[in-house]
Amino acid sequence: MSSTWIVVAGDPTVGTLVETGRTIGGELVALVLGPRSTAQRVACAGVDRVVWLGEPGSAPLEAFAGAAADLVAAGRPQVVLAADRAADRVLAGAVAARTGAAALGGVRQVETVDGVVQVVRDALGGIVRERLALTGPTVLVLDGGALPDEGVPAPVEEVAVTPAGVRVVEEHPAAVGGPDLHSAHRVVAVGRGLRERGDVAIAEALAVALDGATACSRPMAEGVDFFPRDRYVGVSGQRVTPDLYLAAGISGQVQHMVGARGARIVVAINTDKDAPIFRECDYGVVGDLYEVLPALTEALGR
Amino acid sequence: MTIVVAYKWAANPQDAQVGADGAVDLSRAKPGVSEYDPVAIETGRRLADATGAELVGLSVGGPQVGTSMARKAALSRGLDRLVVVADEALDGARAATTAAVLAAQVREIGDVDLVLTGDGSVDEGAHLVPAVLAGHLGWPLLVDVTAVERAADGGLRVTRSVGAGTQVLEVDGPAVLSVAADAVVPRVPGMKDILGAGKKPVAEATVGQVAVSEPAVVGRKRPALAQRKGRLLTGADTAAVAAELVAALRADGVL
Ligand SMILES: Cc1cc2nc3c(=O)[nH]c(=O)nc-3n(C[C@H](O)[C@H](O)[C@H](O)COP(=O)(O)OP(=O)(O)OC[C@H]3O[C@@H](n4cnc5c(N)ncnc54)[C@H](O)[C@@H]3O)c2cc1C
Ligand SMILES: Nc1ncnc2c1ncn2[C@@H]1O[C@H](COP(=O)(O)O)[C@@H](O)[C@H]1O
Repeated sequence: MSSTWIVVAGDPTVGTLVETGRTIGGELVALVLGPRSTAQRVACAGVDRVVWLGEPGSAPLEAFAGAAADLVAAGRPQVVLAADRAADRVLAGAVAARTGAAALGGVRQVETVDGVVQVVRDALGGIVRERLALTGPTVLVLDGGALPDEGVPAPVEEVAVTPAGVRVVEEHPAAVGGPDLHSAHRVVAVGRGLRERGDVAIAEALAVALDGATACSRPMAEGVDFFPRDRYVGVSGQRVTPDLYLAAGISGQVQHMVGARGARIVVAINTDKDAPIFRECDYGVVGDLYEVLPALTEALGR
Repeated sequence: MTIVVAYKWAANPQDAQVGADGAVDLSRAKPGVSEYDPVAIETGRRLADATGAELVGLSVGGPQVGTSMARKAALSRGLDRLVVVADEALDGARAATTAAVLAAQVREIGDVDLVLTGDGSVDEGAHLVPAVLAGHLGWPLLVDVTAVERAADGGLRVTRSVGAGTQVLEVDGPAVLSVAADAVVPRVPGMKDILGAGKKPVAEATVGQVAVSEPAVVGRKRPALAQRKGRLLTGADTAAVAAELVAALRADGVL
């Protein structure tokens, strides 16, 4: 039985990867980049052993991807799992190249059918779901899941490697963010229907009245910086699963909706009655968000 | 010195029709230079102008990639020349195969010390091709890059966003950089650019050997969307509509 590897770049929230690795069977090895605390956390997550590349120092984690890929390749895994996060994908790609593996993103489900690993994934931005049978070594990128439960620690082997010539020379961390998008039960998301930065207050007021969090479509966080980049929902951003997702001034392009479809109830507010989002909502209001959002805030106060 | 920009020729799946059996009809979806790739081309143009480098566009895919329309669309955005691999065998190619073919071409072009890519392709959008490409080249990859300059010692000074913050990095050797969607505002090609594009050199290359064993498709379907109520609340009185919505949400137990 060949081994399955999980590759981790910094963030130990890999509960789904561990569960998935366990269903495939065989030895489950985690390769960890990042601080010792990450390696220790992953070691307690239910893997058989951990290979840790040591404290990164001033090198970004990406500088270790090549060395990490060599170590994974030496283990000759058939399946390698990585979380769908920026640094983890860099690592996943390096491993795929080094091992000559296929690489699949958007993976939703992994199972073994008659001894063959099959994968269900979103293709073409989520408009089709395909089922694939793996035919050789493959790197799978999927949602990392939550922080795994803490169990008995597996052994951690430290391997010293030389990173590529890249150094972080300046660091400008973000100001403290708002409430966590993933734990929010109610999310108020706004898109390009919102005209000015100051108008974000209208969405925030409603989020407060709902005891929820604000989020946005991608153009609101890139291009214009009405929101920080970690607050947009969609295929390249966050996938959220609140009880209520209220989208105002968002047209409902597939790349956005993929991140919102896990919501229990979707409300759409849009001036355009033909906006695609009205085909995917529980309640739709054809109207101006500048009128409807304040009216909702007020109605909730009553 | 040569800077390569990898761009994809692809259609937006938003405009595709998907049958219940999962068959994708792209006849109403027009292909183009993938949504964010012009940002990478523009970033490359500015850097090439500042450093005197040559800017080469590189794209691989099915026969459509090699059409005159596709070539001009890319060249008119500021590339000096193109290398394309347009082959039936690469129609709908997956990330690992695509990246292997791209890597072989980067090596073939020679003298390349920087490859720029877009943030994610409009159709697959898995953000994986740059990662596998960098792996093949053995170069580091930095993603979400918002600015890049050549340092006096020949290295690169790269700014990227990390979560909601930013970092500045120094890179010694060759690198792959995936450019953030909003790093620069790409030019809109004018008539002169489009006419000039027809005169720029295009090299057609062949696929070569790819050792990747891609998975076999055993089924496809249109994803079942959650059943939504689809109830439109209408009325001229916004306050009344808001009250109706709040009542409905309370009844659903989500407030
Ligand atoms: C590879 C790739 C990945 C992408 N990833 C993402 C992603 O992760 N997340 C994401 O969100 N997008 C993503 N996009 C972009 C996506 O395709 C859309 O362009 C984007 O979601 C549109 O944002 P929007 O709905 O805010 O803007 P628009 O599509 O411009 O829609 C604005 C809407 O506001 C309405 N409106 C205008 N004024 C008002 C008003 N006063 N009151 C109410 N409504 C009003 C309009 O009728 C319109 O429907 C991606 C694209 C690509 C190519
Ligand atoms: N077939 C291709 N030819 C050239 N470049 C590509 C191709 N596919 C992807 N890329 C590059 O890789 C980036 C990310 O694509 P993806 O991994 O599909 O999200 C794109 O923005 C392009 O710059």
